[in-house]
Amino acid sequence: MSTERVIFDRGYRKYEGPRLGSSGARSAVYRDGVRRVLGLGRKARRKVFPWALISIALIAAAIVIGTHWVIGNIQESLREGVPTYGGLFDFYSGISLLFIAFSGPLLLIPDRTEGVLSVYFSRPLTVDGYLWAKLRAFATVVGAIYLVPQIVLHIGLALISADGFLPYMGDNLDILWKVPVVTLGYVALHAAVIFLLSAWINRTGIAAASFLGLLIAGGAIAGQISQASFSGARWVSLLAFDHHPRIIRDELLGDTVDYPAEIAGFGMWTSVAVIAVIVIVALIAVRQRYRNLA
Amino acid sequence: MAENVVQVSNLTHDYGTVVALKDLDLAIPPGITGLVGANGAGKTTMLRILLGLLHPTSGNATVLGHDSENEPLAVRSRVGYMPEGECIPEDLTAAEFVAYTAQLAGLPKSESVRRASETLFLVGLAEERFRFLGDFSTGMRQRVKLAQALVHDPDLILLDEPASGLDPKGRDQMLALIRRLGELGLNIIMSSHVLTDIEQTCSWVVMLDGGHLLRSGPMGHFDRKSTVLVEVVDDAEAVAARLGTMGIESHVDRRRLVVGPGDLNLERQIVEAVAREGAGLVRMIRSSASLEDLFIEGSHVD
Repeated sequence: MSTERVIFDRGYRKYEGPRLGSSGARSAVYRDGVRRVLGLGRKARRKVFPWALISIALIAAAIVIGTHWVIGNIQESLREGVPTYGGLFDFYSGISLLFIAFSGPLLLIPDRTEGVLSVYFSRPLTVDGYLWAKLRAFATVVGAIYLVPQIVLHIGLALISADGFLPYMGDNLDILWKVPVVTLGYVALHAAVIFLLSAWINRTGIAAASFLGLLIAGGAIAGQISQASFSGARWVSLLAFDHHPRIIRDELLGDTVDYPAEIAGFGMWTSVAVIAVIVIVALIAVRQRYRNLA
Repeated sequence: MAENVVQVSNLTHDYGTVVALKDLDLAIPPGITGLVGANGAGKTTMLRILLGLLHPTSGNATVLGHDSENEPLAVRSRVGYMPEGECIPEDLTAAEFVAYTAQLAGLPKSESVRRASETLFLVGLAEERFRFLGDFSTGMRQRVKLAQALVHDPDLILLDEPASGLDPKGRDQMLALIRRLGELGLNIIMSSHVLTDIEQTCSWVVMLDGGHLLRSGPMGHFDRKSTVLVEVVDDAEAVAARLGTMGIESHVDRRRLVVGPGDLNLERQIVEAVAREGAGLVRMIRSSASLEDLFIEGSHVD
């Protein structure tokens, strides 16, 4: 047997294959965004929180289906009191708030603070392409957190329905557009707020705290002030941002609570307009911020 | 002669009242080009304009035949860029990061993974490629930055202060790596304020000072005054005579010789002469950078 060892210089291989240009770059940012939000390809501790919340969301859907099934077997009429689509949105919005607070800042902040934007924008990738890919990644994951358990719930309720699977589906066709529309309301508002905060704040923890503070504490404070007696107080109710997707949800999936904006006389379309304004302001501001950074 | 990789005409860029580049006209041929100047000379501005990340106030820059202002994506598809500052995500492995940057350049995912491995091998990080970047030393980070700049097989690589922050050994290794890439046929423009780095590495030099072009030309033109100080164990006269037969001028001072001026082959010729005379080489040092002399000279003129 030869004892000689030879070191081969692998040199440099030219690349002659396809180049996907800007669309390839945007797809790469999108895929990385989804993986980053879910902690995939990252250290184990980064996976724990998102997957725990996703598991809780799915388990909640299973529990609701199970409750419907058990109670339905005892007495069908009792199922009226068990939450369904609208009620679950309340639960999911809480989970998604935590999820977004934890994962949303990771989409933008590390790229900026670690300086990798200088590498990214040296590729065939524009600021708009980058931000759009990040937004799509966010919407995919957060939208899935809302939609997947709802789909599980819908199919589960259809399977245990006394009327049978297909009749239940036929009777509840409106759910197929109402749930996505409500989801869109939540995702649009939350994406706008977390992107706006993450575009300026350099610490993920501070961005998360600001997000939760603005939506939870800010909403409560605005709700209280809006009930004061000074002139124009009712307009303050619109600053309870997190109530707007809930108002849309209640309008479409069944009224549960009167939020300060509703008490102040504003309806669903005002909430739609407020969300639209927040989204537009966020888009313009974040885009300008990143154009300055590029 | 091959087509120039960069052509700049009447290029001016200002940041408000601060003029970063002023009426630059230059052409950069294939090979390794050094963009040299003091901090604030306009090197990074120049590189960012070439990438289409900054729009010139006036004039234009053509990179690989594409106008950098009007066709930035076409330029960036075929150019690699290594920024001076930190650009390393702490929570990815080297292989993942480099593969990701290949995808950002438009390579398909499977090919990106393969090329990331090959490129990390090329820059000497084959063993470390599955380690998280947060655990990397400064020298390893610089190599990763270089790897991401060349993973997509660009036609031109822009390196902004590639040896910045490295210790002397790391600096030598990085410059050797860049020379090696040049030998492999890659076109490189590297900025540096360290003139010796440029001298050791580049075949073409562009000197900037305060946004003005001082000089641009092949390294040989700049190197004409460069001499080498040689110390031998004994018989310096014989070495001088041998060098004389090779057409190389030298002056003897006891066991020391000042040899040259000569180009970058001078050291090799000296070693050959010393070996032939059996004189025993103690040390060999190129005289203080001739490029520096020219730079200072040019700065004073302006």
